[in-house]
Amino acid sequence: MIFNSELSGQQQHTTSPVVTGGSVIALVYKGGVVIGTDTLCSYGSMAAFKNVEKIAQVSKNTLYVSSGEFSDFQQVVKELAKIDRSALQYDDGVHPSPRDYGNFLARLSYKKRCKINPLYLQNVIAGFHNGERYLALVDIYGTYLESNFVTTGFASYFCKAIISNYWNENCTLDQAKQVIRECFKVLFCRDCRAHDMIQLGYVDEQGVHIEQAERVETKWDFNGFKTRANEKLHTQ
Amino acid sequence: MLKHLYDTDCVTWSPQGKLFQVEYAMEAVKQGSICLGLKSNDHVVLCSLKRQPSELAGYQEKQFKIDDHMAIAIAGLTADARVLCKYMRTECLEYKYTYESHHPVGRLVFKVAEKSQHKTQSGAKRPYGVGLLVAGIDPNGVHLFETCPSGNYYEYKCQAIGSRSQAARTYFESWFHLFQKSNLEQLILHGLSAIKKAIMEDEELNEKNVEVGILGKNQKFTHLNAQELKNYIAQLETFNPNSQIQQE
Repeated sequence: MIFNSELSGQQQHTTSPVVTGGSVIALVYKGGVVIGTDTLCSYGSMAAFKNVEKIAQVSKNTLYVSSGEFSDFQQVVKELAKIDRSALQYDDGVHPSPRDYGNFLARLSYKKRCKINPLYLQNVIAGFHNGERYLALVDIYGTYLESNFVTTGFASYFCKAIISNYWNENCTLDQAKQVIRECFKVLFCRDCRAHDMIQLGYVDEQGVHIEQAERVETKWDFNGFKTRANEKLHTQ
Repeated sequence: MLKHLYDTDCVTWSPQGKLFQVEYAMEAVKQGSICLGLKSNDHVVLCSLKRQPSELAGYQEKQFKIDDHMAIAIAGLTADARVLCKYMRTECLEYKYTYESHHPVGRLVFKVAEKSQHKTQSGAKRPYGVGLLVAGIDPNGVHLFETCPSGNYYEYKCQAIGSRSQAARTYFESWFHLFQKSNLEQLILHGLSAIKKAIMEDEELNEKNVEVGILGKNQKFTHLNAQELKNYIAQLETFNPNSQIQQE
């Protein structure tokens, strides 16, 4: 397929995303790293695809998730899988560590940014290698930041307070998961492009575990909603 | 004499199934002065004998650092070695730029071998006339590889290439079972003893004509300086591998 734009020599640049994924929250815990994301892909303000698996297993000890343009996410998953397959090509059993993937993604993002045609993504790479937990954020510009917790999108605004108060880097897996569930509860209430189905995945010494999607706990039977005591109907 | 019928270029086989141009290139490696490598569980040591073209000249360096975790020793055409050395250094730099980690050793040797093989399958090219001993350390362990003009590569516990290398290999055959558990000092002394077997009767080892490079799991590639070389060569007089067996 040849587009008119290609014939005329005009190169298209990504200026705004079309189908987008929501916030991602990733936390380090005592034995590994856990990531949570919702299962929604939005088409602008329409909740178009409600059951999307967004946690990608890149190698046996690395997870990759991102928020932003979903087709870019799918492309990056392919690029990262290519690297893992190179071990097969060279027959040497050498597998990249999670940090190798993180740095590769940073270089790739930076290259595309320099051509003013970015991968419209905030990327999160999590892994467990040689007894060490690994968690990094690579943003749309190719900035590479390793840290103990990572949030993208609206989670960076709403959830940092929850994370500060209820999480520390040596908590248990269940504690970390609870913090993430709490965060997505708040996001569902406040972020218009959020969804109430989330998915958690974690990496530890044994490898990657991706769980089934679960529904966020919500409560709608508040008295105020039932009696609408705060409002006056305009017909009254 | 029949050889001359089939040895004009790389794209002609002989009736015996040989590529004579490639074999001639391997001869060039055998003409280079000896270099050898040996490894233990934690270190790799490269030793080479440096040639001095004339009394007025300096000694030809035979060992080159490729990256902190990798180095090569060469035997054969130095000019061809420079090309491969530059290629290896560039590959390591690019890998480090992309992944922020060290290029796996086996993989780089594979790339060099592929490059070498290309030159053996073209009418317009000639094989590289240099053999490399590649010493490297990566998460997979401690490595010593040999590459060939033919495009083959082999992994070794210890190996010697170049002129009169058979004498060094004979020394290795007697003592290589000790190398795995040797410490760095013992490894260096073994390497120098092996080189000593390969020098001519009227030559002697001194800190000017010998080059020793060492790589360790926690040690970047370094050369021994002149003073250290002198000390080790002096220790050769009293070095007895048998005493190492008694220790174990």
